[in-house]
Amino acid sequence: MKIFTFKGGIYPPERKELSRDCPITDAFPSTKTVTIPVTMGGAPNTPLVKVGDIVAKGQKIAASDKFMSAPVHSSVAGTVKKIQNCMVTGNMEVPCIIIESDGSDRTDYMPPLDPFTCDEKDAIARIRDAGIVGMGGASFPTHVKLSPPPDKEIEYVLLNAAECEPYLTIDDRTMQEETEKVIDGLAIVLRLMGAEGIIALETNKDYIKPLLEKEIAAKGYGDDIKVALVKTKYPQGCEKNIVEAVLGREIPAGALPADAGTIIINVGTVCAISDAFRLGKPLIERSLTISGGACEKPCNLRVPVGTMIGDLIPEVFTLKAGATAKIISGGPMMGFAMTNAMFPVAKGTSGVIFLTKDETYLTDESPCIGCGGCVDACPMHLTPVMMVRELKAENYDGAKKFGLMDCIECGCCSYVCPANIRLVQRFRLGKAIVRQQMADAKAKAAAQSASKEGEKK
Amino acid sequence: MTDSQKNEIYLSSSPHYTKGLSTTKIMLAVIIALLPECVYGVYLFGIKALVTILVSVASCVVFEVLFQKLCKRPCTISDCSAIVTGILLALVSPATVPVWIIILGALFAVVIAKGLFGGLGANVFNPALTGRAFMFISFPAVMGASWAEPFTDAVSSATILSKIKSVAFAADSSVYLDLFFGKRAGCIGETCILLILISFVFLLVLKVIDWRAPLGMVATVAVGTFITGLVKTGNCSAALSDVLLALLTGGLLFGATFMVTDYATTPVTKPGRFVFGIGCGLITFLIRTFGGYPEGVMFSILIMNAIAPFLNNLTVRKYGYGKKGHAKPAPKKIVQEFNIKDAKQEAAK
Repeated sequence: MKIFTFKGGIYPPERKELSRDCPITDAFPSTKTVTIPVTMGGAPNTPLVKVGDIVAKGQKIAASDKFMSAPVHSSVAGTVKKIQNCMVTGNMEVPCIIIESDGSDRTDYMPPLDPFTCDEKDAIARIRDAGIVGMGGASFPTHVKLSPPPDKEIEYVLLNAAECEPYLTIDDRTMQEETEKVIDGLAIVLRLMGAEGIIALETNKDYIKPLLEKEIAAKGYGDDIKVALVKTKYPQGCEKNIVEAVLGREIPAGALPADAGTIIINVGTVCAISDAFRLGKPLIERSLTISGGACEKPCNLRVPVGTMIGDLIPEVFTLKAGATAKIISGGPMMGFAMTNAMFPVAKGTSGVIFLTKDETYLTDESPCIGCGGCVDACPMHLTPVMMVRELKAENYDGAKKFGLMDCIECGCCSYVCPANIRLVQRFRLGKAIVRQQMADAKAKAAAQSASKEGEKK
Repeated sequence: MTDSQKNEIYLSSSPHYTKGLSTTKIMLAVIIALLPECVYGVYLFGIKALVTILVSVASCVVFEVLFQKLCKRPCTISDCSAIVTGILLALVSPATVPVWIIILGALFAVVIAKGLFGGLGANVFNPALTGRAFMFISFPAVMGASWAEPFTDAVSSATILSKIKSVAFAADSSVYLDLFFGKRAGCIGETCILLILISFVFLLVLKVIDWRAPLGMVATVAVGTFITGLVKTGNCSAALSDVLLALLTGGLLFGATFMVTDYATTPVTKPGRFVFGIGCGLITFLIRTFGGYPEGVMFSILIMNAIAPFLNNLTVRKYGYGKKGHAKPAPKKIVQEFNIKDAKQEAAK
């Protein structure tokens, strides 16, 4: 069996054994209250409910007219208590709808829809109505992903089951426990795209391969869905790298995966798609991994979207006293460090990691010695050390030449740097500055042309 | 209040994970790689070699501390880079060098070549080689004219390279073997080819060094020597023995292992490193064959150090870009293993 891989990348300690063997358990916040961000992926939504409204589980509570948006649904049955700004992943304050559960199980789901006989347009509309977004972290609206431009032929749908971030085990558990749903969801996407499916599984999860293949054979998808093993390596689960590894293609710079004839979809997302058709259930639940060295008993949980992580302590999981040094929403390579645990689980929250001081690093930067380790590690084949040198010299064109704007911010360069230089952190800043410059230049040009037109008149 | 709020929580941009490498660890690996050469140098040239090494290391460390104190810079002696410079400087000096000259060399290496340029990582020229170049040019009588013969106190007037250059030199297999095991006159650490190869493999396996620059340098010298040998003698085997001599003598392999792999003064990109090595090899070959000095490794590396920053512009193709730097057009390559659609179409036909 061929094992697929890409050039570059790193091999961080996986630490998945902490939570790998814990089955997904249902959990509910102790306060019986959920804090649901009004927008989770796509264009900003506006709330459809007001304070005091009684809502059912699955009822649409926020939406937008824009195509590039996904509606949000209530994850509990109860009363809208407040609509106010709350801190979410990324340490930003955004509008949230706070709903207190009344303990009942009133649901307002859509009627089930047969994905294999219904009209394609209805199917895309169903995915949108269910509020499905990419659940790997980026929260890109799925119906947009599944509506590529007509001139782009999608040959392959890659189910991204690499889960290359250390600690996270939720895709692993989902595939083991909900194999049927995963394959069903993938089959629905394949039907919509008219493509073949490839499940890309990292070798550290090769024990799932027989499970998947059994289910594929049982459903008679043997000709359409194949399972490919990819090397356990970070960032194997990055769109660009998984396409390079499995298909031997590159996504052109500045283009979408559709330009390479493929779309990449997350394990959680296909499960949500299956639920949306079979049960008519919108995306109101989210499975995630709770792990890290400061976590007493790491676990995999299924919680309503909007559950405050802090509301799960200590009823659902506990922390070692005084051991937490960093609270990460997401994985340790690309996740966000949070100021405290009082933030809600959003559609894209795949895990919350409580790191001890030993697990993270707080070392100061020392001078660059030019070892070139970051050049070897970069999965995009950029030259991180030169990008940092150019950024320090404020030469943004030089930094762009070495690949500043092609950086995927995976963090491999910072991970390997012996001088602990915050490379990718500087690139984020550099990219923001370049984008600002481009916006300024555009505004200036617009102002100039406007004034010229004014002169003509 | 949740438990986590009682903890001391740190905020930072991702990643929150590190490999745990440090400059000190890398320098320690280089020091370990250099130890066999030190021991063998003392075995060959006696107590004088030991004194040279110790004085060189001590003065490099002392000068670095003094310089950083004087300039009110943070003291970075714990990164061990001064120790590496000290060892390298001693190993590329003859054992006969007077102590006060090696101290001057260390001063030049640490303060002028490194400190004044901004310290570790900011230096343009290899500190140890710059120190050696300073000694070599300022005190030619002790640095290049006389060499200690191994195991004796006798002083010979020439190394093998200068013998080759001046008189007809006939080599037989025992000479090659002696050269391989380092039983010859020369600098303290550069004689034993076997030990240098071991160090090279050690550093390569630990991924401390990259193979491109050393290979480029050695291969270029070999090819150049082979061609001139062929032109001169018209005899293929004679040309090959020339190549063997060129590789086994002088500081070529020592320089290729420890000097062209110096991080700060060589390019960071892979193609840049390859070209850097080829450039070093070419200049070494030209100096050895046509120049006024018997050996050219030191000057070749110092000259290439000067253009190393420009060689960083040689990069590999970025992901998603075509050969000319434009965004790649949509690819049409299909992996055989998943060629399901084609198989189906063929079946339909």
